[in-house]
Amino acid sequence: MELTLTSDQELLRESTSRFIAGRCPLTTVRGLVDSHTGVPEGYLRAAADLGWFALMVPEEQGGGNVSGDGVRDAALIAEERGRALQPGPFVSMNVVAAALAASGPTEAQAALLAALCRGETVATWVPGDATADAGADGGITATPAGRDFELSGQADLVQDGTLADWLLVTAGSGDDLCQFLVRVVTPGLSVVPMSGHDITQRFAAVTFDRVRVPTGSVVGERGGCRRVVERQLQLACVLSTAETIGAMDVLFEMTRAYATERTAFGRAIGSFQAVKHQLADMSLSLEAGKAIAVAAVRAVQAEQHDAGEIVSMAKAWVGDTGIDIAQGCFQIFGGIGYTWEHDLHLFLRRITMNSLLFGQPDWHRERICRMHGL
Amino acid sequence: MGALDGRSDASSDGVDDYRRRARAWLTTNLPPLEGAAQRPTSEDLTPEVMAANRALQRKLFEAGYAGISWPKEYGGHGLSSAHEGAFLDEASAFAMPDFGALSATTFDICVPTMLTHGAPEFLRRFIPKVLSGDALVCQFFSEPSSGSDLAGARTRATRDGDQWILNGQKVWSTLAHLADWGLCLTRTDWDVPKHRGLTWFAVPCDAPGLTIRPIRQINETAEFCEDFFDDVVVPDTDRIGALNEGWAVTQTMLVLERGAGRRDAAIPPSGPGPMPEELVSLAQRAGRLADPLTRQRLARVHTTDFVGRVLTARIAEMGRLGELNPGLASYVKLFRGTYTPIRARLAVEIGGGPAMIWEGGDAKRAATSLAYLNGRSASIAGGTNEMQRNGIAERALGMPREPSFDAHRPFNEVVREAQNPKGTP
Repeated sequence: MELTLTSDQELLRESTSRFIAGRCPLTTVRGLVDSHTGVPEGYLRAAADLGWFALMVPEEQGGGNVSGDGVRDAALIAEERGRALQPGPFVSMNVVAAALAASGPTEAQAALLAALCRGETVATWVPGDATADAGADGGITATPAGRDFELSGQADLVQDGTLADWLLVTAGSGDDLCQFLVRVVTPGLSVVPMSGHDITQRFAAVTFDRVRVPTGSVVGERGGCRRVVERQLQLACVLSTAETIGAMDVLFEMTRAYATERTAFGRAIGSFQAVKHQLADMSLSLEAGKAIAVAAVRAVQAEQHDAGEIVSMAKAWVGDTGIDIAQGCFQIFGGIGYTWEHDLHLFLRRITMNSLLFGQPDWHRERICRMHGL
Repeated sequence: MGALDGRSDASSDGVDDYRRRARAWLTTNLPPLEGAAQRPTSEDLTPEVMAANRALQRKLFEAGYAGISWPKEYGGHGLSSAHEGAFLDEASAFAMPDFGALSATTFDICVPTMLTHGAPEFLRRFIPKVLSGDALVCQFFSEPSSGSDLAGARTRATRDGDQWILNGQKVWSTLAHLADWGLCLTRTDWDVPKHRGLTWFAVPCDAPGLTIRPIRQINETAEFCEDFFDDVVVPDTDRIGALNEGWAVTQTMLVLERGAGRRDAAIPPSGPGPMPEELVSLAQRAGRLADPLTRQRLARVHTTDFVGRVLTARIAEMGRLGELNPGLASYVKLFRGTYTPIRARLAVEIGGGPAMIWEGGDAKRAATSLAYLNGRSASIAGGTNEMQRNGIAERALGMPREPSFDAHRPFNEVVREAQNPKGTP
């Protein structure tokens, strides 16, 4: 979606796409839809070797990235992942890594962060109260209990929840937000694997029934959390948007090519204005989506004061138009697109699910109004 | 990073200096802008307003700030578009010459077209007049019988020694009644297919035989005109481009018309800025600021406005990186054509029925209704949405061309047949 890449970034894009083509092409993704993890053996370690989970982490904490622009590099990888509907935790790992790195981690948290960068362990984000009013979560509250805390509540939609060893939980505490790093095998905590619309991703419902967590599991300073959580949300939105753009781009290209090959009434169907005009409208939405997604990536990278707003615009725009484009592509493929063997439904599933994750378009529009004091 | 951030670049150093000098000159010589710049309508452009703006243009010209990026040999200054961008940036806080839509047709569309296709002798004679504010240029382009099918123009130019005699009718020529010159598409050869017999001329608007009449529009202004050519004489030296090769000139003009020539197009916006104030106050007046549907509509408009701006910058950047693809320019035009009427409708939905009535001549209250009516033109003027979709699909996406029933036959035969369709008794 970026119009120009530095030579380092071009190299990153190429190595990412080569890795995906070799290790987990769409045929492999498809073959794994009924498996427990959805991820091929050794995939995460190999991805970690390419630096996928270290992008948001400074070098002195065991991380690093190619261009010095961690967010742009991550968005580049997310886009490539979207092109082949890659499974496994990418957005979640990077969000957790960014949160830990930015929060002044304890020694134990720093060790976990290093393990995340190496792909040895998996962590995901439970947005909890960060997006509680989006309807994706029931909300999670943290109550002081002696020197510990007690977490209660539920999170109904946790991306990569079944793959994770650790959860970064954003909970409400009084008027404030606070975050905890919690092992999934903690008493009172239940992670229920869910079947889902997007068969190439894994989701869980997580319930906290008076889960007792020690002070040492608090991430960052209490009271200073809101800014870090906002940054996590921005990052999650921008990366999942980049992934959707990659998916939309491939889906649209498949459809464009089909319209030039398929003939009816003695002509390529792409020569009919009814088809041509649909393609033009889709292409316009996609180009506009790329433009706003790039603006969002840059704003988050630069920590611009209005980054949150631009991110919400990108999430809302791409969330809506992604689904429109998937529908338009269906219309052009006709019956063949309705078959299980055709890849179209896999793209439709991913694009739709990404549109709902981390706040659906309506929620982001409401957020924009609030940012303007309305 | 040094090479990328541009500060070490010699030409950019020049821009910084230039910007400083421009700012100093602007501060001493131009009045500051009061309120937001709003494009004047045809009604605002009274003879006094036109004269004042011409005087401002002359002031820019005399100080060396007109035609900043145009070639030196024609009276411009031959500087980079970055210099021009810096000047416009600084000038945005001042009252600059504004001829309404004629500013765009002159400086962004017609003259850049002339600079691409005109003869040096013509340009040496003509461009200084433009720069000094004495030649505002409109387009004599569409005709009653050829709108989307521009190559079907029927205005006839007949050779008479060193000059041409023009006969026919043009329409939708924006602000032609206030312009000094028009760039006119004519047919010079009727015995060849339609794209191969076209030629362009620069025509003075006060030429004997040329009658220009404003057309009253749905928004009660009269920005468009209809123009009647009765034996209008034009010297061959005012021809723009080669004889019968006017289609190439047309292509250039269409690309520029779709926004590619706008001087500020490639500058990416820094951020969305405030929500559209007029819509927020509409919602407030309607008591709907807390209504979730209204809030969705406000955010929708605000988002689409910003998406349009980043898209425009993206397309301009694509043009800068590659060639000026006519398909690319259509993206910006189609975005505008698609979302302008939607935006106007959302405004009406935000304000509700009461927003569509007002007391007496309260122009501010009438603005929602006016924007609603004005919103209709974006999907038609300068090429319909359908033509833009064809452009995108055929030129950017590689779809097969529309089958054509007239492109390969002599034009006079096509016209004859259209007047006497086969199968009509």
